[in-house]
Amino acid sequence: MSTDYAIEADGLEKIYRARFRGREVKAVSNLTLRVPVGVKYGLLGPNGAGKTTFVKMLLSAVHPTAGSARLFGKDAHFPQSRSPIGYLPENHRFPTYLTGAGMLDFYGALAGLPGHDRQKRIPGMLRLVGLEDWGKVRIKKYSKGMLQRLGLAQALIHHPRLLILDEPTDGVDPAGRREIHEILNRLIAKGVTVFINSHLLSEVESFCEYVAIMRKGKLALEGKISDLLVGTGFTINASRVSAPFLNEIRATGANTLRTAGGVAIQVPTNDHANAVMDKIRAAGGSIDSFAPSGGSLEDLFLRATSERGGD
Amino acid sequence: MSSLRVFFALIADTFQEARARWLFGGLFALSTLLILLFLFILQVDVAAGAVSVLGVPSAVRRVYSIQHFVNISYSWVGAGIYVFGTFLAIFASAGLVPSILEPGRIALLLSKPIGRTILLLGRYVGNLLIVILNTIYLVTGVWLIIAYKTNIWEYRFLFAIPIMIFVFAVLLCVVLLVGVVSESAALAVMVPVSLSLLSALLAQHQFMIKLLDSEWSRRLWMGLYWILPKVFDLGKELHYWILIDEPTDWLTPIWTSAVFGIVVLLSSIIIFRKRDY
Repeated sequence: MSTDYAIEADGLEKIYRARFRGREVKAVSNLTLRVPVGVKYGLLGPNGAGKTTFVKMLLSAVHPTAGSARLFGKDAHFPQSRSPIGYLPENHRFPTYLTGAGMLDFYGALAGLPGHDRQKRIPGMLRLVGLEDWGKVRIKKYSKGMLQRLGLAQALIHHPRLLILDEPTDGVDPAGRREIHEILNRLIAKGVTVFINSHLLSEVESFCEYVAIMRKGKLALEGKISDLLVGTGFTINASRVSAPFLNEIRATGANTLRTAGGVAIQVPTNDHANAVMDKIRAAGGSIDSFAPSGGSLEDLFLRATSERGGD
Repeated sequence: MSSLRVFFALIADTFQEARARWLFGGLFALSTLLILLFLFILQVDVAAGAVSVLGVPSAVRRVYSIQHFVNISYSWVGAGIYVFGTFLAIFASAGLVPSILEPGRIALLLSKPIGRTILLLGRYVGNLLIVILNTIYLVTGVWLIIAYKTNIWEYRFLFAIPIMIFVFAVLLCVVLLVGVVSESAALAVMVPVSLSLLSALLAQHQFMIKLLDSEWSRRLWMGLYWILPKVFDLGKELHYWILIDEPTDWLTPIWTSAVFGIVVLLSSIIIFRKRDY
């Protein structure tokens, strides 16, 4: 099945229920997101924003309470949908009794690679992440940065089409970080989609083309970073805009951000802005202001995560 | 083919983890110790009709034939190995399920294109195979020593192998369920060991129902007896089977324990499939 999107999430929701007290916590709420094939996509958000829960729902480690997720058009609920996925979790705990090569062999087998393919690929993978001399050493001897690089090799061994990386450069020194970015850029050139969940704004700003910012389980902002940052676009501040209507506006290519008074909609051109404003008025919404936009990702992040918005 | 490859990889991983945690070595070392113990303490002189343990002549030779005395030895040794081997296997296996459920490890395993059922069953079968190997080694080793020393080759003793494996397979289902629900290795030991001890108590049902004064308490006792695995009954049957070659009832404890094991195994799979990690 061919599709334009590596990841599609529609109205994803996760509610955790306390076992005995009956209290509910909404970790992710009505999240709709599309990640096009072949892009570098960053997911940002403060602690507890629901980023990890969202990623785990994509991987079916967490079952959604509502909504659905698809990976390359296949329902993420089915194990086979994860065949083209390479994943590096945050706070990973690799089996310390394995050697570096043994770990790649084990996870390669779980990814469905036959033995002879694994044996052929393992030396190349270790070389790729700079661990060619460490393949026969038990990984309990590895430093944090080395484990991170080995984790990346494990995510790559079956030649995935989508890489989901949770804090990929955590514990890696600046030189190692650059090496990892170079590896990822080479993969991008081969058409691999890279989805990074990170708290490092600078990493996402310098490496990713697209960004989504989550706040309190909701999508606060989403779009192409260049569009969001350069002052060539326009920002419409509107109120009385419903959530389904907001999804409709997003579908036109506009970026949206919940604000205290309503919603800030960012569009790249004047014509686009006029079309969106017409739609808002037709739907009974109100235009509060309209102005050229600009700023840094940090500004955007702070606005998106600190302002009190809501549906 | 791919599922089979994954399944074997999971089994091999269980072996590697067991080896790294010294469980594999520990099991075999303790079994070897037991075998060596028998090698040194049991001394039989069939030609003279004398039996001695640690050089002390036995008075029983005046009462029983040497064959009967050896059968008694076989049956008690069988019962001892049954208890020792089963508990040892539970202690060795308890940590192997919670270890894969550690955050950071389970998320990565679940990100692979494998079903959760295969993941859990891979661990179960891997664990079971380790214990099968150890049981064969332990029982066969002890049997060879007794047989070599007495020159009486009592093949019924080897029946301890399938019985011990069966009992462990049932108790391993409990280890699996407790591991999945609680993620605690300590609890995964406590529950099956408690069930085994409880089975000894419940097996006294004929005596107990006379003591219990209310109908509901008698029903509860019998209900628990029928539902829970009959670890004690199977050990007792094994003991008598080796001793006199006349088991009273193999079938009932086997089928009721098997049903218990299947229900518990299915429950662990269902719970594991539904949980968030």
